[in-house]
Amino acid sequence: MANSDTRFNSISTDTQMAQRKSRNPTLWMSALLGAILTILVLPAVAILIGRSVSITNPDASFGGFTLQHFARFLTTPDVLTSTYNSIVFATLSTVVALLFGGVQAWLVERSNMRLKSLAYLTTIISLGTPYILYVGAWLFLLGRAGPVNDVYRLLTGSRGVMIDVYSMSGMVLIEGFLWSPLVFLLLSSTFRVANADLEEAARMSGANIFQTIWAVSVKMAMPAILALALFVFIRAIEAFEVPAMVGMPGGVDVLTTDVYKSIKETIPPDLGYASAYSVVLLLVVGVLLYFYGRLAKNAGKYSSITGKSFRPRPFDLGSYRWIAEALVLFNFVLLLLLPLLALLWLALQPFMRAVRLSAFPAMSLDHFRVVFASEYYRELAMNTIVVGVVAATAAIILTFFVGWLSARRKPGGVLLDQLATAPLVFPGIVMGVAFLMVFLSIPLPIYGTIWALAITYTVRYLPYGLRYSYAGILQIHKELEEAAGVAGAGPLTMLRRIMAPLLSPALVSGWLFIFLIATKELAVAALLSGPNSQVVAVGMYDLWVNGQGGELAAFGLVWAAVMTCLAFLFYALTKNKA
Amino acid sequence: MLKLDNVSKVYPAGKNEYAGGIRNADFNLEPGTFFTMLGPSGCGKTTTLRCIAGLEEPDKGRILLDGRPIFDGAAGVSVPMHRRNIGMVFQSYAIWPHMSVFENVAFPLKVSKAERYSTAEIDKAVHGALEVVGLGGYGARSATQLSGGQQQRIALARAIVHRPKLLLLDEPLSNLDATLREGMRTELKRLQTELGITAVYVTHDQTEALAMSDVIAVIQKGHVQQFGTPQDIYFRPANEFVAGFIGHTNILRGKSLGGSADAVTVEIGGGVRIRCHADADQRSGETVGVSIRPENIVLAGGHEVANENNNRLIGRVGSVSFLGNVLHYVVTVGDQAMQVESNPDRRFEPGSEVALSFAPRHGRVLPVA
Repeated sequence: MANSDTRFNSISTDTQMAQRKSRNPTLWMSALLGAILTILVLPAVAILIGRSVSITNPDASFGGFTLQHFARFLTTPDVLTSTYNSIVFATLSTVVALLFGGVQAWLVERSNMRLKSLAYLTTIISLGTPYILYVGAWLFLLGRAGPVNDVYRLLTGSRGVMIDVYSMSGMVLIEGFLWSPLVFLLLSSTFRVANADLEEAARMSGANIFQTIWAVSVKMAMPAILALALFVFIRAIEAFEVPAMVGMPGGVDVLTTDVYKSIKETIPPDLGYASAYSVVLLLVVGVLLYFYGRLAKNAGKYSSITGKSFRPRPFDLGSYRWIAEALVLFNFVLLLLLPLLALLWLALQPFMRAVRLSAFPAMSLDHFRVVFASEYYRELAMNTIVVGVVAATAAIILTFFVGWLSARRKPGGVLLDQLATAPLVFPGIVMGVAFLMVFLSIPLPIYGTIWALAITYTVRYLPYGLRYSYAGILQIHKELEEAAGVAGAGPLTMLRRIMAPLLSPALVSGWLFIFLIATKELAVAALLSGPNSQVVAVGMYDLWVNGQGGELAAFGLVWAAVMTCLAFLFYALTKNKA
Repeated sequence: MLKLDNVSKVYPAGKNEYAGGIRNADFNLEPGTFFTMLGPSGCGKTTTLRCIAGLEEPDKGRILLDGRPIFDGAAGVSVPMHRRNIGMVFQSYAIWPHMSVFENVAFPLKVSKAERYSTAEIDKAVHGALEVVGLGGYGARSATQLSGGQQQRIALARAIVHRPKLLLLDEPLSNLDATLREGMRTELKRLQTELGITAVYVTHDQTEALAMSDVIAVIQKGHVQQFGTPQDIYFRPANEFVAGFIGHTNILRGKSLGGSADAVTVEIGGGVRIRCHADADQRSGETVGVSIRPENIVLAGGHEVANENNNRLIGRVGSVSFLGNVLHYVVTVGDQAMQVESNPDRRFEPGSEVALSFAPRHGRVLPVA
């Protein structure tokens, strides 16, 4: 050792250099990601808050601070009405979604009913179908001239309607239908990990089926159900499609449509007022998300998965089985079959009309011919795919690194995680407003191009990408990456050769999920897409507003078919992982 | 070869409380040593190993590998793990499931920055390493199809393929079943001797430690309690913890009446005096513990005359259980329960009075912890 101590001095400089050179990759990565995320996220928040408390002169120069935008809340009763409407709308549609989705989830996961595949089919197809298409279909079905009211008039002989769909109840029903497949998907995973022994123990103790379901199955899933309920409630507060397509024509305004109107239906756009509105919405969602975070932490409290050999036994419904099957069938008809048939009807008819035997001879494929021949639709589809691919890829790449830095508690990881999660508090419409102002105030010619959408979507879906990569990384044993380090691989080599391949199922699932929701997104696109950067959701909305239901249906069916294929892929990937 | 110089890495829990980690680890290993860090879980042995590997950064101290500092807190040196050229076998084996056996073992060569290896060289080295661990011909298999024992061997092959000077093993046998574990133990030791590599081994299993090691460090709550050969540790434990952790022992409390190292007299309860051995001369009047291993005590009937040179204690049998090769007794001596293991040829029933005798050299005087 004495020998080596004399060599010590000459070698230490060498090792110090080695240290400096190679501890840097992680730090550099943190710094670079920090810079990117800051540029992406912070200006939007800053400009939103800035605009909400300042006056902007007609020539876009700064005109001083003011609280007048907020003061208008106090002088106009609209805000109160809209807030009230938002809350009623969100609460009731959450109840509808939970009832439809939750009951179905338990039946499919835990009972011995047949027809389970119908429930999955409904869910997967709804993942791939743009909301506008669904909303349009139900509006037709429940509309004044739609088959539901037709049947009602036929049966009762009255000349009125059973339901006026352009109302709060119509909004609630349609929004509830829209969310029930997601509730089904998320709750079924909760019920899947529930231990069948606990239900059987209740049966052995003498409880009947309903007592067992209530006292054991439901009570045990309660933390998860509550968390999910709040989640759906938040999404409903942020919802734009249904309020825009159902609420606005019916004169039922909610917070999100108020923001939209103050930009699109006010000339010039009242950005200050919209910003103030957005800030309020941001705060509301922020508070709700805080509570959601606390609920979600407890969501797994009673999950009782015990090991790999665990195979839940289905619950024997006995003679009640047909009721369960009827329920699932009803769901399938209501959520999938009827909307699809309605769309098919619309697509095959030259103009929107009620379902009548006399209209059958008029059926033609004209709308499909137009859709396939038209340059416009091809461009819509191309734009949407480009935007979706860019946003999903960018978000997944960014969150892959952020997820690793955060999950492995590297320097700056926590901060990066928070930055990447921050967009969650932005309802789509608010994010649209914020990025609209950002793009208008920077000297780069981004506004009105599809890149404006791609950038905004990337930011909007960062939190989703992060959940996929973070959860995926936590499941990868830390020693797998430590082994690479000891074997001589630097952090970047390790990430490329060990982490990325191991994480690829999670990354692909995350990518598909983001792609699927990005191509459906209406709220952001409604504000940000210009004449040359139209995407499918906006195109469909315009078609709807212009009354071109036929082309909308034809185009929508084709588009939904393609997206459904991707949704099947997504489903197959995530199912294998679980 | 490997020198730890006052290395500390402590995870505090609140004020001055110990929640894990190592304090002032200080030792120097000769090349080719099989060194084991032994201790209960959470004692800091794995932390020390991870500090050597570069997976953790010590709070202070110096680590020298082959005379080169790979960590020096004072000088701000910390060679990152991927430049330390150390082989390591992880507790979970850490076999990459997306790679074949060959790719797993070849990885250290492929990512090596110090040296570029040609495909032929990599081929040769990987097959050589697989041959050494007895997995020749398994290269093309998917790593996840292999059994636990085989994965263990892949991990070993991967750790030695780039011929590191130091091999770290983090409880590598703890996930194997008992028979496999014994086989691997022998083989690991053989391999280490053949390769002449210095190995640092972490375990909580005293049998493994005794069977394989040249040198053992017994660690408790972040402190190295004793550093020495297996014989040292077993026959001359430094304190009550070491005596109790390695094998079973009885500790009798008493007052030292002084004496030279090989003839210490200790007065235990009830005025009974026993003669014992110690590491050094003892001062009179100090409270000490005397460690007597159960297998070193001979039982006889209470009135039988025994060897004059041995210590003799009278007790009453509390319980006796048959363990096959020995009878295990719990005998009450005064107010103390003592464990005794004796030949099953003769059996004393519970309640009978017995004499316990043991040679003075089997009574080890230990400082009270």
